Amino acid sequence: MWTKPYGMKEGFLIGGGLIFAGLMLELSVGPVDWDAFRWPVNGIVLAGFLALIAIIFLLRKRVYGFQFIGTYKAAIPALVFAVVLTIMMGLTRQTVDGVWLNNMLSFWPFVLTYVYIAVILGQIILRRTLHFTNWRRNIPFLLNHLGLFLAMTTATLGNADMQRLKMITMKGEPEWRALTSQQQIVEMPIAIELKEFIMETYDDGSPRRFASDIQILTKSGKNIQTTVEVNKPVEVDGWKIYQYGYDTQMGAMSQTSILELVSDPWLPLVYTGIYMMLAGAVCMFILGGRKRV
Amino acid sequence: MTWEQFIYFAIAAVLLWAVGAWAAWREKTTLAYTSTVIGLGVFFSFILMMWISLERPPLRTMGETRLWYSFFLPLAGIIVYSRWKYKWILSFSTILALVFICVNLFKPEIHSKTLMPALQSPWFAPHVIVYMFAYAVLGASAVMALYLLFFKRKAIAVEEFDITDNLVYVGLAFMTIGMLFGALWAKEAWGHYWSWDPKETWAAITWFAYLIYVHYRQISTHKPKLALWVLLISFVLLQMCWWGINYLPSAQGSSVHVYSMPS
Repeated sequence: MWTKPYGMKEGFLIGGGLIFAGLMLELSVGPVDWDAFRWPVNGIVLAGFLALIAIIFLLRKRVYGFQFIGTYKAAIPALVFAVVLTIMMGLTRQTVDGVWLNNMLSFWPFVLTYVYIAVILGQIILRRTLHFTNWRRNIPFLLNHLGLFLAMTTATLGNADMQRLKMITMKGEPEWRALTSQQQIVEMPIAIELKEFIMETYDDGSPRRFASDIQILTKSGKNIQTTVEVNKPVEVDGWKIYQYGYDTQMGAMSQTSILELVSDPWLPLVYTGIYMMLAGAVCMFILGGRKRV
Repeated sequence: MTWEQFIYFAIAAVLLWAVGAWAAWREKTTLAYTSTVIGLGVFFSFILMMWISLERPPLRTMGETRLWYSFFLPLAGIIVYSRWKYKWILSFSTILALVFICVNLFKPEIHSKTLMPALQSPWFAPHVIVYMFAYAVLGASAVMALYLLFFKRKAIAVEEFDITDNLVYVGLAFMTIGMLFGALWAKEAWGHYWSWDPKETWAAITWFAYLIYVHYRQISTHKPKLALWVLLISFVLLQMCWWGINYLPSAQGSSVHVYSMPS
């Protein structure tokens, strides 16, 4: 044990150590407070995280443990721990105000395990980029790994900046206030007036279509007539507007329509990661089969 | 077109696939191709007519996804066959397709015409179809693992492991595409690309499990049997993701993916 070169055993011990550290943190400071990561905190944390990855990479020749982090024997145990913890998440009911296993996304061991995976990804991405020789192998590799790294980190850190608000619009009355999930009222830079709520049903009475004809007025001076529909949101000034609900007592005669307004400033970064992974998957399908025997 | 006519199409398709499988064993390549492709055509024409008569893609109920699965198994089989010329692959895909056809014949589920608004999206068909194809190919890799672990008496040949790896790479590629299509669709439908809905949680578990296999195989000193066990466990987790969560207490009422009867 702990003789160089390290093997899978050491990899599992490091991963296990992180879980233990996570449990200690959970006991001492409580669950991860993701709300604290609002801009600019998340920007600073991201910069610090990237710096940490770079430092670990630069010191890899001096500190053996740092070199080890960039190997399969570190990556596989980390993935195993991630699978086990995520299975626990899949088997327990997750609630916003839950603790420990019932709120896995704020559970330190879970968070640390995924952070560790991101650190490992960072190491191998840097190494591949600096030893870029064979494009046929390295381009798909970087698309998959850098794409995942980008999507994972920006989705997690950007989450605190995401706003999801409900706006209850009534026919003929422009509305500019919206409600947060904690029922706080927020004044929006856009006002929406419901022109008509539309509900169509199948012969058996089950819903076929929910839509709202709306007029949007923005502080930036736009005046837009449009229809918002389930699966067809409308985007205005960085806000995506979704059909969310209606007055279920009134059904098709509903005079109100509940819209959801979503803003996610980090979305372009997450999508860049997702599209890179998509391209990587296509490469994997085309090139994956032809391996050295 | 209704499920009542399914049995005729199913019998015709399975017979054609069986002829293709037999031809592959006898190395009659042309016959193997033509018979399998015609079988696929027969089967797909049923899917297509269901699509038209339901006025929506038949992708919503478990029975309908099994329909696609039965279609994609021989399709994946013929693609693998054309690429690597494994004689056994068509027999295998035919038998598996037959199993799913039988499930649909003996345990048909409610197939109503309605499609709730949340599912009316251009993403719906590609998301499910790509996933079903991934499941089919990963099913093939799981059978390969079963064969190598429990039925093969001699040592595992390098080529056999390459087959398994190739299947996993193709399956994992499609699974990744299906998952990301799901994320892009979720953003349009529910306002967020990833919400850790139980189905998404299990999709992540399955995806990571296959990543373990792929990475473990890269270690030169890995244990082949352990790798195959990882593959089998991954396939069990995939079942959980596909239909297991329907029975999972923690997923009830909190997943948009739990297949249920129209109420």
